[in-house]
Amino acid sequence: MDLLHNPEFGEKVVTLMAAFVLVLQMAMVGQRSLLMNIRLFGAQSFLLALIAAAIAWYNHAAHIYLAAGLTLAVKAFIVPVLLERLVERIQIRHEIEPIVNVPFSIIISGGLTLVAYMVGTSFYHPETGGASLGHNTLSVAISIFLIGFFMMLNRRKAMTQVLALLSLENGVFLAAICLTYGVPLIVELGILFDVLVAVMVLGILVYRIRETLDSMDVSKLRSLRG
Amino acid sequence: MIEAGWKVLAQLALLLVMAPLVSGWIKLWKARFQTRRGPGLLQPYRDIYKLLRKGMVIPETASWLFAATPYAVFLVTLLAGLMVPMVAADTPIGLFGGVLAVVYLLGLARFFLALGGLDAGSSFGGLGSSREMTIAALAEPTLMLSVFTVAIGGGSTSLSEMARAAIGQQWHFLVPSQVLAFAALFIVLLAETGRLPVDNPATHLELTMIHEAMILEYSGPYLALIEWGASIKQLLLMVLLINVFWPFGLSAAWSLTGIAGGLGWLVVKLALLSSAIVLVETANAKMRLFRVPELMAVGFILGALALVSTFLL
Repeated sequence: MDLLHNPEFGEKVVTLMAAFVLVLQMAMVGQRSLLMNIRLFGAQSFLLALIAAAIAWYNHAAHIYLAAGLTLAVKAFIVPVLLERLVERIQIRHEIEPIVNVPFSIIISGGLTLVAYMVGTSFYHPETGGASLGHNTLSVAISIFLIGFFMMLNRRKAMTQVLALLSLENGVFLAAICLTYGVPLIVELGILFDVLVAVMVLGILVYRIRETLDSMDVSKLRSLRG
Repeated sequence: MIEAGWKVLAQLALLLVMAPLVSGWIKLWKARFQTRRGPGLLQPYRDIYKLLRKGMVIPETASWLFAATPYAVFLVTLLAGLMVPMVAADTPIGLFGGVLAVVYLLGLARFFLALGGLDAGSSFGGLGSSREMTIAALAEPTLMLSVFTVAIGGGSTSLSEMARAAIGQQWHFLVPSQVLAFAALFIVLLAETGRLPVDNPATHLELTMIHEAMILEYSGPYLALIEWGASIKQLLLMVLLINVFWPFGLSAAWSLTGIAGGLGWLVVKLALLSSAIVLVETANAKMRLFRVPELMAVGFILGALALVSTFLL
């Protein structure tokens, strides 16, 4: 039995790594330190690139390698480094203070995962012989998307919202890659470029907010209204 | 009958000899990570030997419970250790539902330890017991949920059955729920063995200590028994984690070659898991006591998701 050419084993490996991605997402919800959050995001993106590479290998879809490589370069290295530099530059020392307290946030995230599993299984029709790969991984992708959304709502500081947006984008990427074996390359490039530009623009924005308001709390922006 | 006795003796010897070694290994590598030389690998043995020869100071207020606790903790932990597959899938003793008995024997040991802490009559003992029970109450549901997840996969709560089922399936038993349950059980391992984000095993700082506060009044041979019991409990939980989730290399029968192979794999896997613990301990500072429930909540939700996803998938 050659495991390296057994698509069934490949599927197992992909779902296992997807489960790890979910564990990392939960850790991001529970983690209060901003730097640790950025590193967790980097690790999550790294796993995502591995998933993409595994799917490319087991389905002989060479074009996904490029997507995997780009994800690895942009999301696992460039974006975390940029964000860490930003943290150093504006000297954030505070911890993340979520609106809903941490244990309750985690319970809500667990509930969201259940919702995602229910949505994911409704797409699963083994009798029609469709791609079986989607099923488990899709549920994980949807739950990462939902938890990312929740994290955005749950956090006050602009910087932490950027991180939540990025992890939400990871969920979208995972869904795309497990359902259709990757979107066309041009779309992929567009999304990655988008993320990179978004991080830079948001980085400048965060810096400006901090400069003018002496705080990154976006709820303070409302006090500017006349 | 003779064969059963032989198995019991072999596993007893393994537990007694390996437990201090694992503690020493973790201490040594933690020191190396902090660029200290650290104590030698055999230091825990020397500590136990030294303590066994010393005299004891027993508080005036202590009752018979104080004297009974070290023996109870040591023996109950050893009994639980005999019910976990270490080198072979067959456990020397299999009583009352396997893993459930293991979990609640450990609970019994903790109950005695907490009573012993209270019985000494010092305020630190009471403080330690109260904290220990709080954390135990948070860790136990997580432990049970992840154990049930694996038990459903193996179709039995007997640890030998679970290990055999996992070996028989080869890589097919790799399912997402295993990853979630493993992460949950790892958090429980850190909490139950008093490792760093929850409790600091290296200090006697009165504000933060949990396990150390409970056993503060113990000295001499009693302390040796408790420390030895604690290291056996740590070994037991680590073995439970590695042999339930990575059962490869576990021998199917108690033959000499099988045991030698199983022992080799056990050492490799223990070394890997201890390095993970060392990494976590080096990278993290101790949490404030009131932050510990946050960590336990992560563990609990991971365990709950693991259990639910075995039914959904």
